[in-house]
Amino acid sequence: MTDAPEKPVQQLERVIIRFAGDSGDGMQLTGDRFTQETAAFGNDLSTLPSFPAEIRAPQGTIPGVSSFQLHFASRDILTPGDHPDVLVAMNPAALKANVADLKPGAVIVLDTHDFTARNLTKAGYTTDPVEDGSLTDFQVHALDLTGMTVEAVKEFGLSRKDAARSKNMYSLGLLSWMYGRPVEGTIDYVSTKFAKKPEIRDANLAAFKAGYHFGETTESFAVRYEVKPAEAAAGRYRNITGNLALSYGLVAAGRLSELPVFLGAYPITPASDILHELSKHKAFGVTTFQAEDEIAGIGAAIGAAYAGHLGVTSTSGPGVALKAEAMGLAVMLELPLVVVDVQRGGPSTGLPTKTEQADLLQVMFGRNGEAPLPVIAAQAPADCFDAAIEAARIAVTYRTPVVLLSDGYLANGSEPWALPDVASLPRIEAGFATGTNHTSVGKDGEETADFWPYLRDPGTLARPWAPPGTAGLEHRIGGIEKGDGHGNISYDPANHDFMVRTRQAKVDGIARSIPDLEVDDPAGEARLLVIGWGSTYGPIGAGVRRVRRRGLDVAQVHLRHINPFPRNLGEILKRYDKVVVPEMNLGQLAMLLRAEFLVDAESRTNVRGMPFGAEEMEDILLASLAALGVAPTADHEAEEALR
Amino acid sequence: MTTPATVTDLPDPVLGTALVPTLGEGESQTGKDFTSDQEVRWCPGCGDYAVLKAVQGFLPGLGLRRENIVFVSGIGCSSRFPYYLDTYGMHSIHGRAPSIATGIATAREDLSVWVVTGDGDALSIGGNHLIHALRRNVNMTILLFNNRIYGLTKGQYSPTSETGKVTKSTPMGSVDHPFNPVSLALGAEASFVARTIDSDRKHLTSVLSAAAAHRGTSLVEIYQNCPIFNDGAFDAIKNPDTKADAIIPLVHGEQIRFGAAQEDGLGHKCLVRDAGGGVRVAEVAGVAAEDILVHDAHHPDPTRAFAISRLTDSGYLHQSPIGIFRQVERPTYDDQARVQLSTAGEPGDLQALIDGPDVWTVEEENR
Amino acid sequence: MTYVIAQPCVDLKDRSCVDECPVDCIYEGKRMLYIQPDECVDCGACEPVCPAEAIFYEDDTPEEWKGYYEANVGFFAEIGSPGGASNTDVSGQDHPMVAALPPQNQD
Repeated sequence: MTDAPEKPVQQLERVIIRFAGDSGDGMQLTGDRFTQETAAFGNDLSTLPSFPAEIRAPQGTIPGVSSFQLHFASRDILTPGDHPDVLVAMNPAALKANVADLKPGAVIVLDTHDFTARNLTKAGYTTDPVEDGSLTDFQVHALDLTGMTVEAVKEFGLSRKDAARSKNMYSLGLLSWMYGRPVEGTIDYVSTKFAKKPEIRDANLAAFKAGYHFGETTESFAVRYEVKPAEAAAGRYRNITGNLALSYGLVAAGRLSELPVFLGAYPITPASDILHELSKHKAFGVTTFQAEDEIAGIGAAIGAAYAGHLGVTSTSGPGVALKAEAMGLAVMLELPLVVVDVQRGGPSTGLPTKTEQADLLQVMFGRNGEAPLPVIAAQAPADCFDAAIEAARIAVTYRTPVVLLSDGYLANGSEPWALPDVASLPRIEAGFATGTNHTSVGKDGEETADFWPYLRDPGTLARPWAPPGTAGLEHRIGGIEKGDGHGNISYDPANHDFMVRTRQAKVDGIARSIPDLEVDDPAGEARLLVIGWGSTYGPIGAGVRRVRRRGLDVAQVHLRHINPFPRNLGEILKRYDKVVVPEMNLGQLAMLLRAEFLVDAESRTNVRGMPFGAEEMEDILLASLAALGVAPTADHEAEEALR
Repeated sequence: MTTPATVTDLPDPVLGTALVPTLGEGESQTGKDFTSDQEVRWCPGCGDYAVLKAVQGFLPGLGLRRENIVFVSGIGCSSRFPYYLDTYGMHSIHGRAPSIATGIATAREDLSVWVVTGDGDALSIGGNHLIHALRRNVNMTILLFNNRIYGLTKGQYSPTSETGKVTKSTPMGSVDHPFNPVSLALGAEASFVARTIDSDRKHLTSVLSAAAAHRGTSLVEIYQNCPIFNDGAFDAIKNPDTKADAIIPLVHGEQIRFGAAQEDGLGHKCLVRDAGGGVRVAEVAGVAAEDILVHDAHHPDPTRAFAISRLTDSGYLHQSPIGIFRQVERPTYDDQARVQLSTAGEPGDLQALIDGPDVWTVEEENR
Repeated sequence: MTYVIAQPCVDLKDRSCVDECPVDCIYEGKRMLYIQPDECVDCGACEPVCPAEAIFYEDDTPEEWKGYYEANVGFFAEIGSPGGASNTDVSGQDHPMVAALPPQNQD
C-alpha cells in the first residue's frame, strides 16, 4: 500500500494518540487495532481505553464520548501518557471533551461531517471551533472523513448509514499511514471478523485502504512520522489486556495444579470479560457458570472447591460487597478459592467503567468477625497473568480464599507481554487427602483410624482437602465455629479464641512463602521512598524516572502482596526519611502501613476515575522531596527532555 | 462397581443416581452406617427427627457408596441435618445451599447431591437460588422442611405463615401473603415437585425414593411440625379424625379421591375440572365417573399440577394435596455443561493459547 | 437407639406421651404403653411429659429396669411395625414380663 511517492519522514521517540468519538463510532476497535499494529511493529506501548457506562449514551453529547489513548515509543514506557500529540475527534463533543488535554502544537484530525449546528450545540459550543480561531495552537486537519468514507465504499451497496459506519476504519487507515504502521494484521482481522458479512468486510477494508491512500496522496499531510521499534529483551512478545492475561493466568493455574477450573460469576463491569474469556476454554477443562447473582457465583465456586476443583469467582466492588458473607464462609471452611475483584469507581454503582483502587479495605476487612484472607494485586496488564497464578498458588497451598485485585485500568489497558514458557512455570500441588489422619480411642480403649478435617499441616497450618468420593474421609464442614482438629461444632470459648488466632496465623504465615521486596534505588542515596500497589506501578515508575532525570534520588518499591505484607517491608520503610503512598483512593494502603508499622506514611491520592499521570506523579514526588529540603536545580535542558 | 462415564452413554430415561458409584458385590449398608457420631440437637418432638430417621433408613437402600453422597444445607433448624449423617456434608450460609450444591453437582457427576433447607432459608433469603436451581434443573434433591415459622431465631413469621399470624414480630398479625412452595416450584418449571409429611414415614420414604431416582432438581416440600413455635400447624392433616378430608392424595394414574371411604373403598370426594380453568373438589356421587380427574404427574404441561397445587389453603390447612405433583424428563444443567466440556475437543495447548495469533519475536542480535 | 417405657407406667398408663409423640409410635398395651423402637425417631418429646417419669433414653434406663428395653422391643416381635398407634388396637396384649407382674403403682 505504498505506491505513492514517499513523503519526508520525521523521527520521533514517542507519540501519544487519542481516538475519540461517539460511543457508537467504534473508537475502541480503532484504538485496539492501532495498538495491535503498533505492537507488531515492535514499539513499547501502553493504552488507556475510556468509555461511558451507557452502551449508547445520547449521540453527540459529552457524556457519550468514548476514547482510546495509546502511548507508543522507541524506548520502554510505563503509562498511557498525559498529553496527546494527536487527537482524532469524530464530532464536536469528542473535540470538546479532549482538547484541553492536548500538548501545544498537537495534531487534531476532525471529521467535519459531524460539525453541524446541532452537534455543536449538543457539545456546548456557541461557535464552530474550527472557524472561530480557538484551535490556532494546534495543527488542525478538518476533513470530511464520513463523506470520504461513504464515497470509498459506495460500490458495496450499503445504506448511507451503514457506509458511514466504516469511518473509524478510514481514520485508522489514515493514522496507520501517518505513523508507518504495518497494516496486514488489521486486514486479516477485518477479513476474519466479518467473514460472514462480505459486504461489511469489503466496505471496512475499502475504507481502511482509502484512508491510508488519502494520507499518501493528500497535500494536507506533508510528513509522516516514524517511531522506531523499542529495544526489548530478546524473546517472544504479544500485546495483552489485563482481563485477558488474568483469564489466561487462571487457565494456567488449573493446568499447573492439575485441577479443573470452575468459575462462578455474575456479569459486572469491568470484570465480565473474564467470564467471557474463560467460557471459551472448555478444552482446558474450564467450567463457567453464569449465576443468578453475585452470591450464587461465589456459592457455586465454593461448592466446586469442596468438590475438588479450583474454584474462582470474578467480580467488581459491588459484587465483593454481595459476596462478603460467602467469603467469610470460605475463610471458615478453609477451602481454596480465588476471588477476583476488578475494581471500579465507587461507592455503590459509582463509575462502572472508570478505574479506582478503593476496594482495598473492603477486601481486607469487609466481612463479619475476624476473617483474614490473603490479598494480592496485579500491577500491570501483563502482570495479571502472574498475579492470577500466585493467587491460585496461595489458595491451593494454604486452603484459603484469596482476593486478587485488578482494576478497570489494568483490565482494559494493554501492553506488550514477554511471553512465558509455560513448561517452565512452577507447579502447584493440590495434595488431596488420601487417607485417615488421626486415631481415636473409644471408651473401651479400642483404637479407630479416622479423618479429622481440621488437623493442620504444622508448616503451613493448612487443613487437609478431602473432596467427596474418598472412602473413609466422610466429614462435615460448615460456617459454625469448629473444634480444633476434629472440626465438629464447638462453642467452647477457649477453642474459639484458639481458632480465630490460628486462622490469622495461617494467613500471616504465608509471608514465609513470599520473596523479600527489592527496593529500586539505583544510587542508593534516596531519602524518599515511594510505595504503591496495583496499577499505580506504571505512573509511579514514570514519575520516578522524571524525578531521577532531574538528578534527584527517589527509591521505589511496589507491593504485590498486601496481606500478608512481605517480611522485610517494615525494615524497608524505616530506612527512609519520608515515605509517600500514591493511591487511587483516599489513602487505604497508607492507613494499613501506618497501622502496621507506625510509619509516617504520607498519602497522595486521586479519585478521578483515571490513572495518575506521569507529570502529576512527578509533582507529587517533587513536593515530597521539597519537604525534605531537596529541590531540583533549574535545568532547561532537562525540562525540555521531559516534554 | 462400574458406572458409565458420561450421561450420554446412558439409556433414556436416566436415573438421578446413574453416574454415582454403587456398592460392590456382597457389600451392604444400614442406617447405622449413615449415622454420624454427633449428638442430635433439635427440640424434643421436632419433626426434623422423623425426617432424619426416614432419610437414614432410606439411604442404604439406594445402594450408593456413602462417600459419594453429599448433603448441603443453609441456615435454620433443619440445616443442622448434614452433621447427623455420616456422608460428606456442608452446613453453609443462609439461603445459599442451592448455589453451593449447583457447584458441586456441576463439578462432579459421580456425586449424589442433596440440599436440606427450610421455608425461611429456601423461600425468603434464598428464594432466588431456589427458583434458579429449579429452572436450570441441576441434578440434586432439595428437601424443603416447611414448618411455616422461623424456629432458630425464635418464632418470627415465615414466608409460608398464614396471613394474620401472630408472632413475636407480628403482634397484630402478619399482613404478608404467604407463598405456596409447590406453586412456586411449578412456576419455576421444576421437573419434579412433591409434598409429603414428616410423620408419615412410609409416604415420606416413597417420595424420597422417587425424588432420588429423578434426574434433575427434585423439590420435596415436607410439612414439618415445630412443636415450640408453631405447634399444631399441620393438625388438620395429622389428626386421625380430620386427615381423610384434609389430605388430597396424588398418585400418578389414579383417580384423585379423598374423604371418608364409600362402598368402592375410595373417598367420597374427588377433583374435577373447574369452569374457570382450575380444578375443584366435588362429591363423587354428583359427577360422572369420567369427569373425575386422574392424576398425571408426567404431563409435559404443568398447568394441571399448578391448578391442583392451588387447592392448598394457607391457613389451618383444612385441605392439602399430598404426593408427587409433577415428574417430567428434562435435560439437566450439569449434564449439558459436562457434555459441552467433553465435546470441546482435545486438551488445549496452553502455550498456543497464551501466545495467540499475533506474536512477534525480538532476536538477540537486534539489540 | 430408642426411648424405652419402664415400670412406672405399668397399671398407670397416663398417656400424656401418646398425645405428645409426633410420629404416633407409642402403643397402648393392656397394662402399660410401649414404644415401637423402629418407628421411634429419638426426638425425646415423650420423656419430659410423663408424670410418672417412666420414659428413658435407652442408654439411660436405670439398672433395675433395663429389662424393659426387651419388653418394649419384644412387644412388637409379632405385631411388627404397624405404622401408627392410632389405627392399631393392641390393648389386649402385654409383653410376658409385664403380664407376669403383680399389680403396680397402686398408691
